[in-house]
Amino acid sequence: MASFVEKPRSACALAGALSAISALPGVIPIVHTSMGCGGNLSGANSFGSGYWGAGYCGGASIPTSAITETEIVFGGGERLREEIESTLELIDGQLYIVATGCMTEMIGDDTRGVANDFTAEGKPVISVSTPSFKGDSYSGYEIVLNGIFNGYLKKAEKINPKLINIFGIIPAYDPFFRGDLEEIARLIRALRLEANTFFTPDQTFENVKSAPSAALNIVFSRVWGTSFAEEFKKTHGTPYWATELPVGPEATDAFLSGLAVRAKVPKRRVKEVIERENDIYYGYFERTADVFCDSDFKYYAVTVTNSNYAIPVARYAQNELGWVVLDVFVTDQLHDFQKNALQGAFNESGLNYADLLFETDTSAIARAVTERRPLNRGERYFDAYSPLFILGSSLEKAMAQKRGSAQLSISFPAFNRMIVDRGYAGYRGGLHLFEDIVGSLVFPKG
Amino acid sequence: MSYYEQAIPPVRDQRLKIADSFAGSACEMLECAKSGCMLNRSRLFWQTGACQMALTLMMAATVERCAIVMHGPIGCGSQLHALSVQSGKGKAKRGKQPVPPVWLSTNLQESDVIGGGELKLSRTIEYADREFRPQIIFVVSTCAPNIIGDDVEEIVRKAGEFSAAHVVSLHCPGFKSRVVASAYDAFYHGLLRHLPLSPEPWRDFIPHAADGQGDIEQLKYEHLKSRTLNLWNATSIGPGDEEELIRLLGALGLRVRMFAEYSNADEFRQISQAALNVSMCSVHDDYMLSFLEEKFGTPYMIAGMPIGFGDTRQWLKSIAARFGLEDEADRLADYEERRVREAIAPFLPKIQGKRVLLCGGVVRVGSEAIFLKELGMEILTFRAYHYDNGAEKIYERVAEEFPDTRIAVSNQIFEFCNQIKKLKPDLVISHNGTQGVLAKLGVPSVQLFDVDRSFFGYGGIFSLLQRIVFAFRNTSYQKRLSEHVKFPYRESWYEKDAFHYIKD
Repeated sequence: MASFVEKPRSACALAGALSAISALPGVIPIVHTSMGCGGNLSGANSFGSGYWGAGYCGGASIPTSAITETEIVFGGGERLREEIESTLELIDGQLYIVATGCMTEMIGDDTRGVANDFTAEGKPVISVSTPSFKGDSYSGYEIVLNGIFNGYLKKAEKINPKLINIFGIIPAYDPFFRGDLEEIARLIRALRLEANTFFTPDQTFENVKSAPSAALNIVFSRVWGTSFAEEFKKTHGTPYWATELPVGPEATDAFLSGLAVRAKVPKRRVKEVIERENDIYYGYFERTADVFCDSDFKYYAVTVTNSNYAIPVARYAQNELGWVVLDVFVTDQLHDFQKNALQGAFNESGLNYADLLFETDTSAIARAVTERRPLNRGERYFDAYSPLFILGSSLEKAMAQKRGSAQLSISFPAFNRMIVDRGYAGYRGGLHLFEDIVGSLVFPKG
Repeated sequence: MSYYEQAIPPVRDQRLKIADSFAGSACEMLECAKSGCMLNRSRLFWQTGACQMALTLMMAATVERCAIVMHGPIGCGSQLHALSVQSGKGKAKRGKQPVPPVWLSTNLQESDVIGGGELKLSRTIEYADREFRPQIIFVVSTCAPNIIGDDVEEIVRKAGEFSAAHVVSLHCPGFKSRVVASAYDAFYHGLLRHLPLSPEPWRDFIPHAADGQGDIEQLKYEHLKSRTLNLWNATSIGPGDEEELIRLLGALGLRVRMFAEYSNADEFRQISQAALNVSMCSVHDDYMLSFLEEKFGTPYMIAGMPIGFGDTRQWLKSIAARFGLEDEADRLADYEERRVREAIAPFLPKIQGKRVLLCGGVVRVGSEAIFLKELGMEILTFRAYHYDNGAEKIYERVAEEFPDTRIAVSNQIFEFCNQIKKLKPDLVISHNGTQGVLAKLGVPSVQLFDVDRSFFGYGGIFSLLQRIVFAFRNTSYQKRLSEHVKFPYRESWYEKDAFHYIKD
């Protein structure tokens, strides 16, 4: 956990906080740290997530206390107070979140105290503690969620039995978060329920405010957001369901059936939706069989992703494409209890040929693949794991080129493609993933 | 003790007169810099930017066969994914292998912040050396180890003894300065303290033999050296600019080597083997070049940027004068100017009278503003990202050319938006990273620099004008986008002066 990391695929808690905040409507970040953190981290967030961009008040527009050595010595509280005052005067938002960086935490600034002074005056200002040495981008997402949903928002007076909150899909670090959220919301609405995605452009701050009245929280992660959802349950009494993001029809059928039980949707209605969606899916998918089969696009697969995408993508490759998934690498830095949670879900996922492996370092992953899946070294007959497709991040491109394998970037950092509203979740996402995988094979680029 | 002997380099705030918050005439600016009133200026509101580490990493990532060890928590260095791609492109364009640098983070945890991260750093350096066998390991010391007091320099010294690689410390605590320009000094400080800058016998040359033949070789070498100059590039200077200046200096019979970006350890050993060091910008290289003069006796020249007719001629002539080639330089400039003037003639009617705002590096905006005014564009104002002593000379000329123009030292987007809304320029020429904002404001813009295009010398003149004319052709994208984008600033902001939040 605490060792050095080669080419880390996650930045710090502050980076995760900033990516989450920048996707939330009406929420303004104020970074209590030195001049560079906000800009550097926003740049990294955007680059690694298929050029997501800065947004309403992100990137170089993020307000910051921009502390210097003077504040390191004498404390940064007053500078922060001044910055919050100016931000409230200048920037139009509905909630202002002060997020801390390493130095202001190390020197012991009373950030919460300063924020509380504004709260006492009725200003919508809260603070979250996001120093880099306490966690990575994924934990930054959780910290922001806790600050807003379990700290700022009050318990709802009335529960809306139809409303469902979607959590666990992490802005930027799940590069397809917007497309995935939209598809999940589309399916939830197809069951005549309501959905809060929070992080997609159709949402407003009203969605954030309505969250405590939801009847159910779904966390699409075995690792990230579950402790937040547990806390949410304590604060607001909302039950939660932690499950895999469904990718492709088989997984999505199961997801909808599971949701129907939890959200008390009549069986007939969910059956209708599943049938209609499958008709559409296979209406498209059926026609792809000609090129897929005539070109013999059956592959071995290795996946290298964050913990959220590991099982969903491997399952899709195995069940929808009929590929043989060999190794499922998870690149997050995880505690043992998190690894155990993921391993438990993996054991039940039906991925019979594959091994789940935890490795953060790019060259160590390449080394492990070489050791586990050796190439022919001059033997006349050699049953190699070939052809091999690597579903990973852009960092796996080098390994793929070395081995002569196919590769697609589907995990952070994904910088050799542009990602806008594309997602791989659900039925539509299953078709998109197919398009991207097979698209890279029918017309391979160097 | 001189700066060069210190383990940790000074930031420019200590070494120079520096500022990042000012609005007024160029004359007032020069006076404010001289009297020191500029130094303490700040803002009541700040938006985030970059830190010296960010720019130091841009430079380090270009060095061939290097590994970068980020000594800090996991977030510092996250932009190296992007920088690896950017530097790979730069390497390829310079005919080098586009191999990305290896980089690692010591991934400091809370326990390390309390107990110290030195052991972790040693282990990471050792791993980088044994696993990847780079020529150079850059150890980048970020804010956290500087606050907890890790003795990075001592770790680096010890690591240097057991490593096959040169271990080079780059001290970049971001909190030491709001101005990123200290990054140049931080990078150079590491190079000048930890890398051999002179040729090694047998490896780089055969030592002088006493048979007479050696003397001839030696004379030949000395002659070549007397015609060799080092040109100092930076991240804002692309291969197109390098080629143009090598072409022009080559026409004068001079041999040019480029440093320090896109070099490797073998090339760094040639740094001392030149008759002259030449900077391409007045605020980049003085720290390194005055060291090289002190250490190797190599004179240096810092004379602005070769932008526009006058400055390019002046820049060439200042170099040529050192080699007794002034007349040749004049003739070269005459010839080149004549050709490019012909080439840009069709562009001029399309740009003359257009109202322009410039934004970016302090020297570049000054030089471009003077040049574009000469061509007949109307300069509304310009914004420099910072100010330090290096820019004094060019701003004396700015003060003459634009006595009544209110200019600013600002890298702040909210001030930029306010200015654009009020001044409504026809065109903005601006620093990379702002083009998206400008498009959302509905204004056509071109890059103030862009490593994929050229800006220097005669080729640069043509290329920039071509871009400007191109920018005016079809501005539908900006128009449509701006109709649909909401900015975060309250309407009341646009009623205030753009520099309302600057305080003394």
